[in-house]
Amino acid sequence: MALRELSSLEKYLGLKKPNKYSTQGDKKVPVLQNNQGPPLVGLITIACHLVKEAKRSDLLGESAESRAVVQQWLEYRVTRLDGCTKEDSKSILKELNIHLQDNVYLAGNHFTLADTLMYYGIHPLIVDLTVQEKEQYLNVARWFDHIQHVPRLRHHLPPVAVLRNRIYTGRHH
Amino acid sequence: MGWKRGWRRKLTFLFMPCVSSCFSAAEEEQQAQSKKGLKKQQKEAEKAAKKAEKQAKVAAEQQSAEEDDFAKDRYGVSALVQSQQKLDRTLVRVQDLTPEKADQLIWLRARVHTSRAKGKQCFLVLRQQQFNVQALVAVGDRASKQMVKFAANITKESIVDVEAMVRKVEQKIESCTQQDVELHVEKIFVISQAEARLPLQLEDAVRPDGEGEEEGRATVNQDTRLDNRVIDLRTTTSQAVFRLQSGVCQLFRDTLTKKGFVEIQTPKIISVFRAEDSNTHRHLTEFVGLDIEMAFNYHYHEVIESITDTMVQIFKGLRDNFQTEIQTVNKQFPSEPFKFLEPTLRLEYTEGVAMLREAGVEMGDEDDLSTPNEKLLGRLVKEKYDTDFYVLDKYPLAVRPFYTMPDPHNPKYSNSYDMFMRGEEILSGAQRVHDAQLLTERAQHHQIDLEKIKSYIDSFRYGAPPHAGGGIGLERVCMLYLGLHNVRQTSMFPRDPKRLTP
Repeated sequence: MALRELSSLEKYLGLKKPNKYSTQGDKKVPVLQNNQGPPLVGLITIACHLVKEAKRSDLLGESAESRAVVQQWLEYRVTRLDGCTKEDSKSILKELNIHLQDNVYLAGNHFTLADTLMYYGIHPLIVDLTVQEKEQYLNVARWFDHIQHVPRLRHHLPPVAVLRNRIYTGRHH
Repeated sequence: MGWKRGWRRKLTFLFMPCVSSCFSAAEEEQQAQSKKGLKKQQKEAEKAAKKAEKQAKVAAEQQSAEEDDFAKDRYGVSALVQSQQKLDRTLVRVQDLTPEKADQLIWLRARVHTSRAKGKQCFLVLRQQQFNVQALVAVGDRASKQMVKFAANITKESIVDVEAMVRKVEQKIESCTQQDVELHVEKIFVISQAEARLPLQLEDAVRPDGEGEEEGRATVNQDTRLDNRVIDLRTTTSQAVFRLQSGVCQLFRDTLTKKGFVEIQTPKIISVFRAEDSNTHRHLTEFVGLDIEMAFNYHYHEVIESITDTMVQIFKGLRDNFQTEIQTVNKQFPSEPFKFLEPTLRLEYTEGVAMLREAGVEMGDEDDLSTPNEKLLGRLVKEKYDTDFYVLDKYPLAVRPFYTMPDPHNPKYSNSYDMFMRGEEILSGAQRVHDAQLLTERAQHHQIDLEKIKSYIDSFRYGAPPHAGGGIGLERVCMLYLGLHNVRQTSMFPRDPKRLTP
């Protein structure tokens, strides 16, 4: 899964030469052999490296504060989101929903790597949500729909239908 | 510490050992015993004296009570009404207690909804179906202390006959339906007494679930209500629901009668069997309960229009004549008012599927709609067209019964339709195959034993007209119009695998 993400990320970044990755451990952590030094281990580490390689450091945040927030969400992706249980997923969606109430993107007003990797990571959760649940986590659905439409981003993931209008008015029905 | 009436004062015995160093052990014991005996005797004498005193007091009270009760003929528990006599007495309906009747002395029969004593007065709320009125029994020249006490102790739900003066009130009594008057009771008799412990309280049974949770008050769950249906049916909500249902039935009959339909009673038949033998269009109809079958001229849409028009007349009739009942039900079960379009919205099945796919549902062109998908589609339709009532036309042939007429232009589809209210199916119908040959083919395709349906097929050999129809569930229409969720709420004594009584 992580390898496919990295491959999609490369395509998005417009990197001409696709890298060869290996994995280590049962969790299949991605590893990238580096000519310039020790191998890079881990999805986040490699992703950040790719971003810098593509000279798109803006995707890591434009200010010190947003850079910190981006790193926080990247960490969130591998520590909270990956391998979460059913109950966890509900609380993750709730947290995200609250955060996205006042933010267009995860790190504020600009599209960053955090959005990309969180989108890749949360896709399997969103795919299984009913229309009603997507309406319940309205902000997450809005953000998700926005990110999945970013040109050249989606690649390996099928699109998820997100309705524009509320059909559950929130009253008894 | 005084005496509480009816309580026995608990006497605690503290046995104090006798201390003395001069006597021998045996003698000590003897002395102790006789002291014990004395004490015991003393205590018993005290007790007896107190008891006698109490008895004398009670007797004296009773006597004075009887002596002082000038109103004793104006209240009490009546003998069982076994039709002993014919009383020529008019009983006024609670709903007719208006300021027009002020200062009149009237009789009425109602249930005691609540009774509350307050000093020298007793406030009662007397109820008759969905109407209630405040009544007052006050110590005065008409009522004695004992009568007020009697009134306060009448158990809830008991049926009483009351003679009272109707009085106008200055301030509206908000908690009753009759807000401008109250009754000043002169006589009150219990006709049919209710047991003191009721399995459920009516005020709890009408409380909305949300309010119950918020205020920590009791609500009654559905199972309890159904187990005690005779009481539950007395609530204002239940009364309103069944009046509405009666309204649906009546509107249905009236509308169809106006259209020239003739109501026929036929025995209940399980398999499909319609005996039609008439030449007249529109006068060939039969319905059992809420089933419609209708001959048409050239296109089955003539029938769809007739049915939807009937439904619209029912909706309008309910909207215009049953607002009180609708509001009553909504107090306990809030919901949005029912919306419909004129002419009725008709969507094709393929359109419905497209809308569902747009919302992320995966389904094949010829798949039937699951109930969750029906409900989702209902919401999508509501959002797009703003209607709670619509027709879904041209269902796939594969998912319909063998007697459904196939679509003439596309063999994958059929001339069949479902109608929905608030996203739930209320009617399933179609143009019926009226040709014996085609019917036989369709039955064979569905691998049905032709012998079993021989008489049904035969009935089409003698010139049957093209016809279509559908069956409607009366309870579902009422339930969905009101926005209720459970058909048991609109069924008087519902039966299901887990419920055989009451």
